[in-house]
Amino acid sequence: MHDSSQSDPNLISQLIRRQGLQLAVLIGIVIAAFFATRALAANNRTMTLHDAAEWYRHGQDELAAGHVARAVDDFRRATVRNRMQRQYTLALAHALALNGDTEEARNALVALRNAAPEDRDVNLELARLAAATGDITAALRYYHNALYAPWPFDADETRRRVRIELIRLLIAANANDRAQSELFILSSDLPNDTAHHIEAARLFTDTGDQAHALEQYRRALQLDADNIDALVGAGQAAFQLGDYRLTQSYLQKVPKERTDIRPTGELVDLLLGSDPWAPRIGSAERRRRLVADFHDVEQRLEVCATARAGTSSPVDPGLLADARTFDQQLQSRPVVEQETIESAFDLIDRIERNVLRACSPPTTLDKALAIIASQHGGASK
Amino acid sequence: VSVPQSVQKNLWREHQVFLALSIVVGVAAGLAAVLFSVAIEFTSHRLFGLSPSALRLVAIPPLVSIATGVLLAKVFPDVRGSGVPQTEAAYHLAGGIIPAHVPLGKFITGVLCIGSGHSLGREGPSVQIGAGLASVAGRWLELSPERVRDLVPVGAAGALAAAFNTPVAAVLFALEEVIGDLNAALLGSAVVASVAAVVVERSILGNEPLFHLPPYQLVHPAELIAYAGLGIVGGVLSLAFCKGLLATRALFRRLPARTLMIQPAIGGLMIGIVLLYVPQVMGVGYEFVDRALNGGLLLKTLALLCFVKLAATIVSYASGNAGGIFAPSLYIGAMAGGAIGLLIHRIAPFPTADSGAYALVGMGALFAGIVRAPMTSVFMIFEITQDYQILVPLMVANLLSFVISKRYQPVAIYHALLQQDGVHLPTATEPTQIGRTAGQLMRRDVRFLAADLSVDDAWRLAKEDGAPAYLVGTAENLEGTITRRRLEASWAGGNREARVAALMDRDVVHAHPDHSLDVVLDRLVTSGGVLAVVSRANAAKVEGVVTADTLLPMGDHVSAQRRNVSDVGTSGSPHSPVRSTIERVRDGKEDPTGVPHLGGGQLAERSLDG
Repeated sequence: MHDSSQSDPNLISQLIRRQGLQLAVLIGIVIAAFFATRALAANNRTMTLHDAAEWYRHGQDELAAGHVARAVDDFRRATVRNRMQRQYTLALAHALALNGDTEEARNALVALRNAAPEDRDVNLELARLAAATGDITAALRYYHNALYAPWPFDADETRRRVRIELIRLLIAANANDRAQSELFILSSDLPNDTAHHIEAARLFTDTGDQAHALEQYRRALQLDADNIDALVGAGQAAFQLGDYRLTQSYLQKVPKERTDIRPTGELVDLLLGSDPWAPRIGSAERRRRLVADFHDVEQRLEVCATARAGTSSPVDPGLLADARTFDQQLQSRPVVEQETIESAFDLIDRIERNVLRACSPPTTLDKALAIIASQHGGASK
Repeated sequence: VSVPQSVQKNLWREHQVFLALSIVVGVAAGLAAVLFSVAIEFTSHRLFGLSPSALRLVAIPPLVSIATGVLLAKVFPDVRGSGVPQTEAAYHLAGGIIPAHVPLGKFITGVLCIGSGHSLGREGPSVQIGAGLASVAGRWLELSPERVRDLVPVGAAGALAAAFNTPVAAVLFALEEVIGDLNAALLGSAVVASVAAVVVERSILGNEPLFHLPPYQLVHPAELIAYAGLGIVGGVLSLAFCKGLLATRALFRRLPARTLMIQPAIGGLMIGIVLLYVPQVMGVGYEFVDRALNGGLLLKTLALLCFVKLAATIVSYASGNAGGIFAPSLYIGAMAGGAIGLLIHRIAPFPTADSGAYALVGMGALFAGIVRAPMTSVFMIFEITQDYQILVPLMVANLLSFVISKRYQPVAIYHALLQQDGVHLPTATEPTQIGRTAGQLMRRDVRFLAADLSVDDAWRLAKEDGAPAYLVGTAENLEGTITRRRLEASWAGGNREARVAALMDRDVVHAHPDHSLDVVLDRLVTSGGVLAVVSRANAAKVEGVVTADTLLPMGDHVSAQRRNVSDVGTSGSPHSPVRSTIERVRDGKEDPTGVPHLGGGQLAERSLDG
């Protein structure tokens, strides 16, 4: 207050009353300014958010065009302008990871995860990042966080995709047991759809679990009996399980156009037609098969011995002599005993190994006989 | 003496009015800071769009600077630069009076300059706008001159709190930088205004921190050595910035006065060319600070941005554009810190924190080195991180940067900028052991020599007068000083037709009316025998002179006072040190040659002065 007025209390009182009024006016102005500033700031914020969206769109375009570094730059601009939009940060992290900057990508995602630990997208990106860096334990943890996070009711398929992604990662890391565990969960909740069952079956196949693979193929075939992929898959799974008759039953339904499975079909046909141990065949047929099988192998041995004669690695002459001796014995027996068949296949197994080592690659028949041998004694060797 | 109850009541009500006004000023300053920031963003967006073409980058800064040049030269001549020095000058020298056109002019020119890409900050202008609004409000309410003056730092604190979202650092800045005294009684009002401003800012812009930071940690104790290294680098960069800015500004000031209007455009053109190649240094640049803090920039990019920003800010500021150095100092610090962090990360034999942690400490180090507000710097970074762990490395780096900067640039940048304009601020550390001041001691009948006087004429006058030295110019425009010895030597050497202006010493050792006798004595010794006493607000304006003859009758009195004040060994005898000093000066035995002059300014000031 002015010095001149300090001496007069009345003047001071008047001045203070006026100051009160002036203060009230100032407060009014400030309140009006507050709302005006807020409106302008909101307008600016909208503009900034729009800019952020534009940068995000640019970034997506750059990413699609393969310009990862530029995409990173654009996503950064988007995230600085709109920090609340986690989609931008996720895109940035994704682009950073693609650009090889996994540490910064991880930092960005961890910051997001700290704010929302159960965010499925963030956990998923973190899982992918961990997978890319070979940290399977962390990847598994983040995948599980993502899988068990709240998902929208219509996002079952996306969630399934995530689990399949995890299974593929585990298979690639040779963690087949864990992959099978995930597969059991996956298969327990599959929709009635051929493609889903076939995919699950293939994953089971990749883990080496042919029985469950076959089961999934069967389910697929229950929904669509003529599904070629399912028939082929089921046939191959049955083959791996050693059920050749079942294999034959599936593969016979596959159109001839599928040439890729023809070798398996032929092999199975030979297997089933050449096996002297096959059930429900007469002794004559059993003998015929054994004689025919042995003849074919002996001939192959003779050709191979001729070809290798005089070379540094000739066929074992003892083996040739054994084969001739056994052939004579076989011709002299009208009925073959179990013991004879086993002896024959022991010898067939020895001959096949020698021929394979010294001469040409195996024929389909060779493979069939090797399988028969391995099934009935040869396998023990 | 009993005070009447009515007076007591009125005094109490005056306190209440001041407190209420502090809140209103805080809110108003906060709103102004938010509006200023929003307006800069809007302008920048309108001028440059999302991804500006090369033509826009080059053309917009000079074109807009032509308009701002006219405004700054013709309409708002006192709003160039940061605003912090002007606010300090208003507080210390003008009784807190800031004309109403200043905040308006600062707002308009600041928005245009920063929005058009100049490498300047928004905090300094916000401080001046906030302080200006406070001053206008105080005067409208017809508060006492002391209260009007007190409102200036209150408004400054509010504006800075809203501009930087750091209420504690803003209060400290107002006390440490504007008032120059951390123990100031205005703490309460500044806190109230700061809190009010931050509440307003957050209610409008949300509680979003200025920077998003990864968690900070000191990974290994040996990292403190690295942070000390960062402090040294910060000090060197601070020095480079301050020296560069002052030298470049001096260059611009030497240009003819008629170019004043186009100087901002010259700076604008240079900035446009810089933006063409390094657009990252455009404007405030917090986006890139954020990137550096989050480790999102490569080593070479960090180093490049550090040096380019330093140069761009010097050009933008020195050419007379409106904008601050607060944000650029943080930017340069973040880049330098980030670069050093990456280097340390590569070569250190021990585990280290991410480069972002170094960028953060670098921000504090540069701020401490350039702005010279170390406490503000520590609290500002602490408020940004809200992490106690950063305090130790931050203090180590800040201290080193501050010490190096102060050692080689004794006058802080804001004060040095004012001194270039002929304004000399007092400091809280000036000794006042002796009660008499230069204003009380000086003689007001000052004899001047005209600058265009010939040596012959000047020597004739000097012979009659017998004074040891003379001031050259007029009472309103002190141009320099010349000693009797130099005049005599020149005259004797036959150089009689030369003008006094050619011989005079332009760096005038001077005192201000509020300087104590200690300072007067100290400077009289180096002045050549005639110490000019000049206005703080305008160092070219002479208010009087102090000579040995003026002081001689006081010698014994002074010595006695000194003895009472301190234990300095003086006596009341005619041979006391004070008396002998005065006698030596009077008799011309004190050789004024070799006086250390501080370069760069029109009128030099001893380091003791602010």
